[in-house]
Amino acid sequence: MTWYLGDLIPYIPLLLQGLWISIYISVLSFVVGSVLGLFAYLAKVGRFRVLRSISGAYIEVVRNVPLLVVLYLIYFGLTQFGVNLDPLWSTLIALTINNGAYVAEILRAGFESVPKGLREAAHALGMNGSQTFRYAILVPGIRNVFPAMTNQFILLFLFSSVASVIALPELTNQLLRVNSETLRTFEVFTVGALLYYVVSSVLAIGSRVGEKRLFRW
Amino acid sequence: MTMIEVKDLHKSYGKLEVLKGISCDIDASQVVCVIGPSGSGKSTFLRCLNLLESITSGTVIINGHDLSDRKLNTSAVRQDVGMVFQQFNLFPHMKVLENIMIAPVKVAKKPKAVTREKALELLDKVGLASKADVYPSALSGGQQQRVAIARALAMDPTVMLFDEPTSALDPETVGDVLQVMKQLAEEGMTMVVVSHEMGFAREVADRVIFMDGGVIVEDGDPAEIFDHPKEARTQAFLSRVS
Amino acid sequence: MVNDFLQFLPALAKGAGTTAILCIVAAVGGSILGLIIGLMRSSSWAVVRWISAIYTNFLRGIPLLIILLFTYFALPLLVPGAIFSQMVSGAIGLTLFVSAYIGEVVRGSIEAVPKGQFEAAEALGMNFAQKFRFVIMPQAMRVIVPPWVGIILAMIKDSSLVSVIGLVELTQAGKIVGTNTMQPLVAFIIVGAVYFVICYPLGHFGRWYEKRLKASGFNVAHQATATDILDEEPGVRVGGNQ
Repeated sequence: MTWYLGDLIPYIPLLLQGLWISIYISVLSFVVGSVLGLFAYLAKVGRFRVLRSISGAYIEVVRNVPLLVVLYLIYFGLTQFGVNLDPLWSTLIALTINNGAYVAEILRAGFESVPKGLREAAHALGMNGSQTFRYAILVPGIRNVFPAMTNQFILLFLFSSVASVIALPELTNQLLRVNSETLRTFEVFTVGALLYYVVSSVLAIGSRVGEKRLFRW
Repeated sequence: MTMIEVKDLHKSYGKLEVLKGISCDIDASQVVCVIGPSGSGKSTFLRCLNLLESITSGTVIINGHDLSDRKLNTSAVRQDVGMVFQQFNLFPHMKVLENIMIAPVKVAKKPKAVTREKALELLDKVGLASKADVYPSALSGGQQQRVAIARALAMDPTVMLFDEPTSALDPETVGDVLQVMKQLAEEGMTMVVVSHEMGFAREVADRVIFMDGGVIVEDGDPAEIFDHPKEARTQAFLSRVS
Repeated sequence: MVNDFLQFLPALAKGAGTTAILCIVAAVGGSILGLIIGLMRSSSWAVVRWISAIYTNFLRGIPLLIILLFTYFALPLLVPGAIFSQMVSGAIGLTLFVSAYIGEVVRGSIEAVPKGQFEAAEALGMNFAQKFRFVIMPQAMRVIVPPWVGIILAMIKDSSLVSVIGLVELTQAGKIVGTNTMQPLVAFIIVGAVYFVICYPLGHFGRWYEKRLKASGFNVAHQATATDILDEEPGVRVGGNQ
């Protein structure tokens, strides 16, 4: 068995296009999903019991059901109602819903782990609820949340590969296509793995650097 | 004049009663040290004085604020009663000066310029004038605690509460903090200090209260309590820690 | 509707059974392999440590799907004339994937054991194996349960991806049933419910165990995350697995 990357060269643009789509859907779903997650978190710690239950149910269900099943539910399941979403929209919605639940949990864990003493010090100085949150809890909470959020983005990016099963032409899908056309299986998947690895590594290192820069205290 | 009036204070967590009827009066400018074994309720007692713990029953009147009054403005009480914690609890994301200024500016709504001057004065008073522009993480424990004292003083309280202020410090820095507290006492601040520092109690306190099992066992002059304890429990405790 | 239910069940049950077998194999295999990889990180030989580090970092930095596709399509090419069945490929791929995460958690739990324990064991003359067997691992194992449960929980969900290489596990069964009965919504809701019923209690157990550990004063070894690539110290972040 010989190793030969040459056959792959004509397909490089295709692979890069696939990579671009993977990144693009990850970023989009991450941003929208995080906003969703923020609302879910606020609902969960808020005053209204109905909202607490709804958001609690959303978070628990999504965290205990595989992403693939959610994707299938949207792409195939909704056809039962006559709703036919294309692969792109199905993927975006599924990733967004998925991400939202995890972000809500990240926010909860991040803000809960701010040392209680800071809250008490703020109270002892006479601060009310919102002042306490704004001056004593918010920034330390964000510091806790930051690495978890970047980690979540990396995971989202890696799991965006799931969309290949519904024929979205993201990177993994393109890899399968190139494999079937060149039969250079080993080379194709190695290159694919490396592409994912490079991106996730860059993101991880960037996160580390960002954390040091942003939170100098 | 009586600064703090405590009558039959009870505090329970669910079924567990931690304070079983505490009564004492503390005069203005008095320095009271509360000692006792762990679990005696001394920290809980202290934290009831600024409502970090709620009162189950009994009365506490501190500088005219009746803490059992339902319509009480908790924030006003806390602005009047300063607290220093064992773990300092400085805000890590704010520099030292901002830590001291944040409450006077945002809670007491004092003007920034005036507060800034005052904060720098207080910082100088605790011996840390050069550290105004650093983050707490750059300071030693003793330095952080002194900043915490300055932060509490910035609100111009009439009473200062200290919850084991030196228990989390290296022995070398304990002295610096006690020095600041001593100075505060000499200036006439009413202080209630929960501490294990018997030396400080002997030297600075006007009064020592020994608590055990949620009640005040003995209450008197430092010299009396340390040298001639009346109660068996007091004797037992003192012989264990001396 | 009820009729459809009865139509569904046998196929879905069979799929669930396949998922169960797949998960058990990957859980056991991945845990054993992960344990070895994690222990390698404590080796006194830099090469061994590096292999372990590269292994865990790489496998956590690529999608599970790529690993599965690789083991199904590419790996058999190494062995002339071999074809791996979908179950075998899926099991191998899932095992490798899980072992990387477990390896990191094992490393974290070992690093959570106080250094003094290592020194005491060495001072008593124990070698690597004795040290780990009698002193370190028993202590590490205590804090490893919650993150390990988290990884297994994620693995159960991730096992759904093995359907992509054609294995008829639960998700694939749902897809087939859904297509055949033209009621994909119902089929996938049932499939989702099955995963939920398995994962939800598991998640609760993990959280309960973690609370119990924290109450006895242990700090849980945190789940490994993708940002740990440059770590020399244990990654201390909350893991969010899909």
